[in-house]
Amino acid sequence: METMTNPCIAIRRLTHRLPSGGRLLTILDGIDLEIARGESVAILGPSGSGKSTLLAMMAGLDRPTQGEILLDGEPIHTLSEDCLAMLRRRKVGFVFQNFQLLTNQTARENILLPLELAGATDAGRRADELLDQVGLADRGHHYPVQLSGGEQQRVALARAFAPKPSILLADEPTGNLDGATGERILALLADLRQREGTTVVMVTHDVSVADLSDRAVHLRDGRIERDQIRSSSPRLSAVPDPERAAG
Amino acid sequence: MTPGVFLQHLRREARGSRGRLAFFIGCLTAGVASVVAVAGFSEGLDSGIRSEAKTLLAADLTVRGRRPIPADVEAEIDRITGAERTAVREMLTVVAAESSGASEAEASEPTQAPGRSLLVELKSVDGYYPFYGELELEPAVGLAELLDEQSAIVAPEVLTRLQLEVGSQVRIGGQSFTIAGVVEREPDRITGAMSLGPRVLVSAAGLERADLEQYGSRVNYRMLVRLPAEREVEIEGIVEAIGALLDEDGRHRVESFTDAQPSLRRGLRRVGSYLALAALLSLLIGGLGVAQTVRAWLAGRMDAIAVLKCLGYRPREILWLYLGQTALLGVVGSLFGVGLGVALQSVVARMLAGALPVEHLEMWQPWAWSRGLLLGVGVALLASLPPLIAAMKVPPIRVLRRDADPLPPSRWALAGAAAALLASVVGLAAWQADSLWIGALFTGGLVLVAIVLGLAAWALARLASRPRERSRLWLRQGLAALDRPGASTVAGIVALGLGVLALLAMFLVEQGLSGELERDLPRDAPTAFLIDIQRDQWPGVEALLRDQNADQIDSVPMVMARIAAIDGRQAGELREEIENRSEGPRPGGDRRQAWTLRREQRLTYLDELPEDNAVISGELWSRPEVAEVSVEEEFATELGVTLGSVISLDIQGVVMDLTVTSLRRVDWSSFGINFFLVVEPGVLEAAPQTRVAAARMPEGREQQVQDALAASFPNVTMIRTREVLQRVAKMLTQLALGVRLLGGLTVLAGLAILAGAVSAGSIRRGAEVALLKTLGMTRRQVMASFATEYALIGLVSGVIGTVGGAVLAYFVLTRGMEVTWEQPIGWLVASVVATVALAVVSGLAASVAALRKRPIETLRSVTG
Repeated sequence: METMTNPCIAIRRLTHRLPSGGRLLTILDGIDLEIARGESVAILGPSGSGKSTLLAMMAGLDRPTQGEILLDGEPIHTLSEDCLAMLRRRKVGFVFQNFQLLTNQTARENILLPLELAGATDAGRRADELLDQVGLADRGHHYPVQLSGGEQQRVALARAFAPKPSILLADEPTGNLDGATGERILALLADLRQREGTTVVMVTHDVSVADLSDRAVHLRDGRIERDQIRSSSPRLSAVPDPERAAG
Repeated sequence: MTPGVFLQHLRREARGSRGRLAFFIGCLTAGVASVVAVAGFSEGLDSGIRSEAKTLLAADLTVRGRRPIPADVEAEIDRITGAERTAVREMLTVVAAESSGASEAEASEPTQAPGRSLLVELKSVDGYYPFYGELELEPAVGLAELLDEQSAIVAPEVLTRLQLEVGSQVRIGGQSFTIAGVVEREPDRITGAMSLGPRVLVSAAGLERADLEQYGSRVNYRMLVRLPAEREVEIEGIVEAIGALLDEDGRHRVESFTDAQPSLRRGLRRVGSYLALAALLSLLIGGLGVAQTVRAWLAGRMDAIAVLKCLGYRPREILWLYLGQTALLGVVGSLFGVGLGVALQSVVARMLAGALPVEHLEMWQPWAWSRGLLLGVGVALLASLPPLIAAMKVPPIRVLRRDADPLPPSRWALAGAAAALLASVVGLAAWQADSLWIGALFTGGLVLVAIVLGLAAWALARLASRPRERSRLWLRQGLAALDRPGASTVAGIVALGLGVLALLAMFLVEQGLSGELERDLPRDAPTAFLIDIQRDQWPGVEALLRDQNADQIDSVPMVMARIAAIDGRQAGELREEIENRSEGPRPGGDRRQAWTLRREQRLTYLDELPEDNAVISGELWSRPEVAEVSVEEEFATELGVTLGSVISLDIQGVVMDLTVTSLRRVDWSSFGINFFLVVEPGVLEAAPQTRVAAARMPEGREQQVQDALAASFPNVTMIRTREVLQRVAKMLTQLALGVRLLGGLTVLAGLAILAGAVSAGSIRRGAEVALLKTLGMTRRQVMASFATEYALIGLVSGVIGTVGGAVLAYFVLTRGMEVTWEQPIGWLVASVVATVALAVVSGLAASVAALRKRPIETLRSVTG
């Protein structure tokens, strides 16, 4: 297998099994994957193919049964809960299908949270800047329940990019949004990625969404079925008009 | 994370759970309020009863004896800064009416006409008397104003018997005194003992003038002492120090107000134990409420916790975040609790002013408040510890997969938390109950019951999980819900069961205790004693009493005797031996024994024992070959006699040998006529004797009876005891009322908390209701299914909690308080039924909002 020099994420022989109904169910079966710094990767596959589990493993949200995961060369599968939390604090941003905003905190406070955890000295300024970038400068004091789905996902994007993570993991970020809003979110994601130089790994089952990435990894039954590398990804690296991106 | 950021997060995290946090605060408020109110009330009751007990003694402590109080005892008292003392001397003497205008020479001879002289109890006092209670005089002026060297104050009976009035002259010890007023009530008059005559008060100088205190005269010397308030806590030490001085002297006794009347003392001790128990259990219930609320609150925050972990929160930061919240809420709830407790105290004190001895209840009790505050915060933190530790283990992958299993908890963390929890519960319980042993026992009992409840809950869940396809849909759903993933069946049953245990125990103990206090009330006790009735006068006296509508009339013969020998050893010899003993193992007991051997004994002879007497060993009148005597148990110990001992009694010069064939226990709180020594019939009939009678007179009729007796039987003296009876009855009633009131309040607060705890667990079932309704279940079916589930939880908790509560109440009542246990079957059944009802009603009440909502509203908010 051809190996990258200094990959941002390196996954080797990753296997994950879960007990189910008295037997072990194999979710991931010997995955080998390397993702370069700044690369945008879409993970595709039907339901139950192991996409979300693979994403969770990359963030240290779950522990593999076998194999290893290295982030920036650092093995994370052996880290304690505390170290994993610190790692996520420093390096990993998340965007979820169902937004996962803290409902008891305002949009601005949601963005502030990872900045404060990281000990950022200019947390307030950075949060305001990000709110502006996602087109919600005047909605910072609103609670998630007062925002539309698209607006919530824009806040989630701002929160994910706030501490300038080297890796952004997105799980079906447009899954709960209508087509137009989904497109605007993806454009915004591409824009932020461009500005921050972030490595993006995005789980989706939508091929058109995957087309926006540098690379598409197809999973089936816990294995990599196909790994497509596009030499020049047309859109995720493109810079869309921010005005147009505001959903 | 910097402290500033932490505080920011703490503040933000508190949002959005207002309802639940309000309930959390409510539980703690109720728990702490009952602790503070109980502490305040017990303080109030205690000080109220203390002040009544001091009234009965007219002092904090007294030293009394047949000889003047030793100078070193007086010096010891004088060494206590701020202590005051006053001397009281009492003796039996005869006063005689003096016809007005009689010359000094004529008056020097007591009037000999029948009915014009009277045996009285003379008492010399000074202006300090009494230190506590009220000396009611007529005219209502100060003692010092009425009493001087020339004057006397007399009981109304003296005026009636001697046909005198205020301003008349009486002769006391050959000297003429002017009757300056009437004494209606003395605080320390009769504390259960029988008097020999009505009261006459003179001043110390007056007593000197009467010159009655001569060699050989039988004077009772009493020194009354009032301690400064801040030294009152040291009273036992002071009594001990004085006792040590008296040991060498052997002729005096020291007594403090804490040795008050026996039924009161017993009552006080029991109420004290009850209050400690009530405070402990109400805190436990508050803790259960808090634990359930925190559990439910954190269950609602699981997704947020997973997100926080995704964003880089470390598990221990999660713990600190929520522990900080809990501590903050604990402080707020406890502060509210302190406020509510104080308010309750003041409202109830005002409502029951006069009925409870809480008129002087101190509202400023910073100690009780800080105790409530500390206990509240402590309980909140402790109760939250188990769910908080579970919260640390919320898997971050929950953001992607909501059904993700919790992370395996660290064994060390679990063991450490369990140890900390147990040690803290023992500590808190020991602090509240003022005994490490009780604290440990209490915790052990709780753990045991919690294990039984947990096992029962587990068994119920397993049973419920068995398929019952033929049963009705709602029943099947209800049963299945007990075993659904994430169901808090075990936690719910343990919390509810422990709550029922605490509430029922409190209720049963309160019932038993207040019943016992009410039984102790001297309802049928005589209100007057009649002494010096000649044998042939009794039918006439009895008829007179009946004419005056007196009831509960009782009369027994009374023979006076001295102990001549015990088991062949002469009393003088025994006394000398005791008195010469320089350092006995039980000097106090020896002193009493010597005094018993010296004093005159009153005996009676009876065929059957009165109801308030119970033979505890031997058999009454069982040996025809000897003359038998039955001895009261404590008196037997004092004399050093047992079954088979022979007591030789000197009855007016005739010595009689009596064999002890039974020992008796006497309920002195009945106030009936009782004797230490009861002789079998047929032995003393021929001895010189009088009769003593007791009767209960209609209220306010005493004076008429007194007048009628003075007219027909002038030698008979009537001693009124209504005053003392009423005072004892008032105190017992107050204690019982106080217990009922506190019991009622804590049980009500407990019920509210338990209802809330059940609701806390069920309020998050909106999604389930919505889903069931979407699938076509009617609201009635959903309610029936929930009711089945809650009824089963209530039944298991109710049965186990009830059994546990009854066992706890049984031990507290019979072992701790020595109160008779009465089978409370009816209450036990009611407890189980009430628990089922409570679980069903509060569980359904919490689901009402979800049942009313259209399913789509709930489903949208869950998924969106």
